[in-house]
Amino acid sequence: MNYKSGICTFCGTGCGHLLDVRGDKVYGVFPMQNHPVSKGRLCVRGWNVHELLNTPEKITTPLIRKDGKLVEASYDEAVSCLVEKLKKVSPDEIGFLASPRSSNEDNFLLMKLARAVFNTNNISLDSDPGHRISLDVTHGGTGMAGMLGSLEEISKADFMLIVGIDITKQNPIIGSEIHFAARKGARVVTIDTRNTQIAKLSNGFLQIQPGAYKIAIAYMAKVLVDENLADVDFIKKYTEGYDSFVKVLSSLKESEVAEKTGVDIEMLKTAARDLALSRSAMVFFSSGISGFDRETVSYIFNLYVMAGKIGKEGCGVNPITGINNLQGSYDMGIAPDLLTGFQSLSDGTVASKFGKEWGVNLNAKAGKAPNELMGKLKALVTVDHDETIIRNVNEVSKMDFVAYIGSYQNNCMNYAHVVLPIATYVETDGTFTNTERRVQLAKKKIEPAKNILAGWQLLSKIAEKAGAKWSYGSAADVMKEIAKLTPSYAEISHDKLAVGGIKTGGVNRFDVEKAGRKIAFAAADANFAVPLASEEYPILLLIGESQHYWHQNNLMKKTHIPLREYNATLLLYPQGYVAISPQKAKELNVRDRFPVKIVSPYGSMETLAQVTDKVKPNTAYVAYFVDEMVTKFFMEHKDVLKRGEDTTIPVRIVKV
Amino acid sequence: MYLINKSQVSDIAKELQKEYQVYGPVMEKETKQCMFVKVDDIAELDLNAPIPALPPKHTLFPQFERIMSYQYDKKNQKVDIKPDFDVSKKALFGLRSCDLTGVLCMDRFFLGQEFVDDVYKNHRKNMFIVTNTCNVPFKQCFCVCTDSGPSAQEGYDLNLTDLGDQYLVEAGSDKGKALAEKLGLKKSDDSHKKAKADVIDKSIDKFDSIAKDNKAWISRVVNRVTTGLIDEKVWEYIGNQCLECGACSFVCPSCTCFNIVDPVTGPETADRMRTWDSCSYEGYSRMAGGHNPRHPVEDRRSKRFFCKLSYSQSKKYLRPGCVGCGRCQWVCPGDIGLPNVVTYIRRDIQK
Repeated sequence: MNYKSGICTFCGTGCGHLLDVRGDKVYGVFPMQNHPVSKGRLCVRGWNVHELLNTPEKITTPLIRKDGKLVEASYDEAVSCLVEKLKKVSPDEIGFLASPRSSNEDNFLLMKLARAVFNTNNISLDSDPGHRISLDVTHGGTGMAGMLGSLEEISKADFMLIVGIDITKQNPIIGSEIHFAARKGARVVTIDTRNTQIAKLSNGFLQIQPGAYKIAIAYMAKVLVDENLADVDFIKKYTEGYDSFVKVLSSLKESEVAEKTGVDIEMLKTAARDLALSRSAMVFFSSGISGFDRETVSYIFNLYVMAGKIGKEGCGVNPITGINNLQGSYDMGIAPDLLTGFQSLSDGTVASKFGKEWGVNLNAKAGKAPNELMGKLKALVTVDHDETIIRNVNEVSKMDFVAYIGSYQNNCMNYAHVVLPIATYVETDGTFTNTERRVQLAKKKIEPAKNILAGWQLLSKIAEKAGAKWSYGSAADVMKEIAKLTPSYAEISHDKLAVGGIKTGGVNRFDVEKAGRKIAFAAADANFAVPLASEEYPILLLIGESQHYWHQNNLMKKTHIPLREYNATLLLYPQGYVAISPQKAKELNVRDRFPVKIVSPYGSMETLAQVTDKVKPNTAYVAYFVDEMVTKFFMEHKDVLKRGEDTTIPVRIVKV
Repeated sequence: MYLINKSQVSDIAKELQKEYQVYGPVMEKETKQCMFVKVDDIAELDLNAPIPALPPKHTLFPQFERIMSYQYDKKNQKVDIKPDFDVSKKALFGLRSCDLTGVLCMDRFFLGQEFVDDVYKNHRKNMFIVTNTCNVPFKQCFCVCTDSGPSAQEGYDLNLTDLGDQYLVEAGSDKGKALAEKLGLKKSDDSHKKAKADVIDKSIDKFDSIAKDNKAWISRVVNRVTTGLIDEKVWEYIGNQCLECGACSFVCPSCTCFNIVDPVTGPETADRMRTWDSCSYEGYSRMAGGHNPRHPVEDRRSKRFFCKLSYSQSKKYLRPGCVGCGRCQWVCPGDIGLPNVVTYIRRDIQK
């Protein structure tokens, strides 16, 4: 049988697939029918994964920069160079940028390398703070850091709220599950600034003003209070902190809601009532680069707690990760202040448990994320992803030393002094944790190209070169150490992971009966301000992602069919596009693909207009993926971009 | 017509293996998923396995196939282009009649028109096909509505029908007959022919209780699709649910669309690869100048069903393009597999 089972590693859904493996090549892919999440479905990315795996744009040898040019080297030379350079820099000035695409094993070892070998806590994911917010809120409220519902229970939810996530594009198979449930009678309501596909497939769609998600959710909570629809028995028995949340809500004036959100408040009322009166309900929102700010996530969490729609079958607050191992990366302690399984670095018992296992004294003072230290860092070790590099080109190119570790060629190599190739996910064993905390094993299916090391092998080699004694014989050995140090991974080992994997903590979803504690309402403030357009900048510009090419599109660019789809857009709009409404186009006297200029208080860019009814007349939308746009225009808006999905820039658009 | 004892039916595959690479239904152990794949060990073949998730299309038209390679001689400025693809002889064992019908549709496309596809022809010309009558339908089946089952009527070398303790073996070609004679199979008589007819009748009867998923209404819908008398709103309703994944085309036994790419493999070498393509993709119908006649997703969707069901397309295949296997229903994340589309159109007609 040349088809070998595995899991797709594009997005956080974690679909099952079978790869057509012959010799040292992957010739095709087919969906896995018995997979508990994907049940025989894949999206455009998943159906074309073999094209990526066959790309000639892999890194085939270690490289060292000499006289400004990267030249071939052996692993020994390149690793020695890396260790030598890092040892010259003070630990405070070293940063580690991990990738949410790496396996749990590779990320765990990178974290260990940073902390136990190079003595720095400056480690983070590549500019992906959005999911941390979701983790903080769910962990603070329930003790479980991650999605609280289960994807397998979508079919059991009577009511679903989709907030600001283009889910049939970002995580298509989860979108599909929601669509199937809707067709069987579940009520689905979408709140979004854009008329997305899931909005069209919903029973109710509220096209909201940019930046007004929080106020809309807060108003729904207020309706529950005012109409006595909150689940008082549930609140009394299982929760704490309700009263102070109600107090915050009381400062929300109903008269402001319609104007600030731009939607009919009767529709918001109906949605709130439907939520309260349903037997079971879930909420989905994007977690990651396009996630919400802390306040919005807190309000979403609190709304579901007060409706009693948490910790029960078919219920849950579900932050959806856009990248395959975003959840697993945080689980592996890829954060300045965390060890594995959301254990705090500042907790003495935890730190000494790790210190004892690793034979070192850990520095208990939290570090900082490298992208917050730009300008101060002298050395950077980065894995697989180039987001931060793109946004901080100037600072990164001034650093004394930059190392890049990855399987595929990438923009980041242009700034690297040492490049270290590692095996792809089909060339070594590794586990990945999907958005619902499901840990799945992708087994080695082919031999890596000549002498290429697996991530865990390379990181061990670096550690050894730096004087540490690591002795992992396999990725499974690494998982044994993870399980030993991490309560939520205690039951996980490679030999136990069959089709469908095991969820962390051994629990399918958060269960209010087994929580062993009360659910705490998240702290929420009463600031209901929304970004406002002005006469000078009358349009609110939104930033988003697109289907075939999220982020810098580094992987999709190495395929054929998804690349063509990317080009289908890019050939039409070579410098990217700004989506505007037909009405706005008429006002500006432009048609589709006419050049326009976007002007904000911070900068401007020229691009082409895409005329679409997906956006309202007073809003505009740019896809985040186009390199040229990100580097030029968005670099001028770095601070604004930190706000995630709620990122809005007031602009004016003029005809060129 | 011949007979073979059930316990000896794999002798046919063993005999074929002497000359051919044998492909057939195999259960993948870890996932319990049936795939139509090459076998090294004949014992892996499972004639009782469910309809393979992966149709046999890939044996003739692989998902990702090198068809040509280039070598550029820089000094002499000469290019050496040579055909470069798998030329092994293949035998398909235990094919279901819907999948054979898919092969016949592909034959019409790749071989039956003005241009003959050499790569396909090479795969096809040396092929030996053993079909297997379905005595029980599966949940998603509707071959009785598309005239493609439950038993194969043409195009096979040997056709098997399970008659209880033995298989009826029908030869559909000289090649098939020669193999049956070589194996010394005993001859069947009229009673076996009747027994086969009974098996088919019983199988068709079971569609009512087992294949409940799809009560397709194909012929009436063919009429509507052909005449274009379908409300645009129906296509919009269908298009809204399309997630543009391409799965329906990839699992369809009769879908033939492909993309060509020329990846550079070295400083002076390149391959020409052929890959499966899908009309659901936006880039599929984009023209060189940027114009896309099927830009909205519903336009792309309506063209797929036009291709599968319209009369003008049927003239090309001499039958509907849909073979009633129901796989598109399995894999579609939008729940708009062909049977559902037929249902929506029927609903609209009945209004």
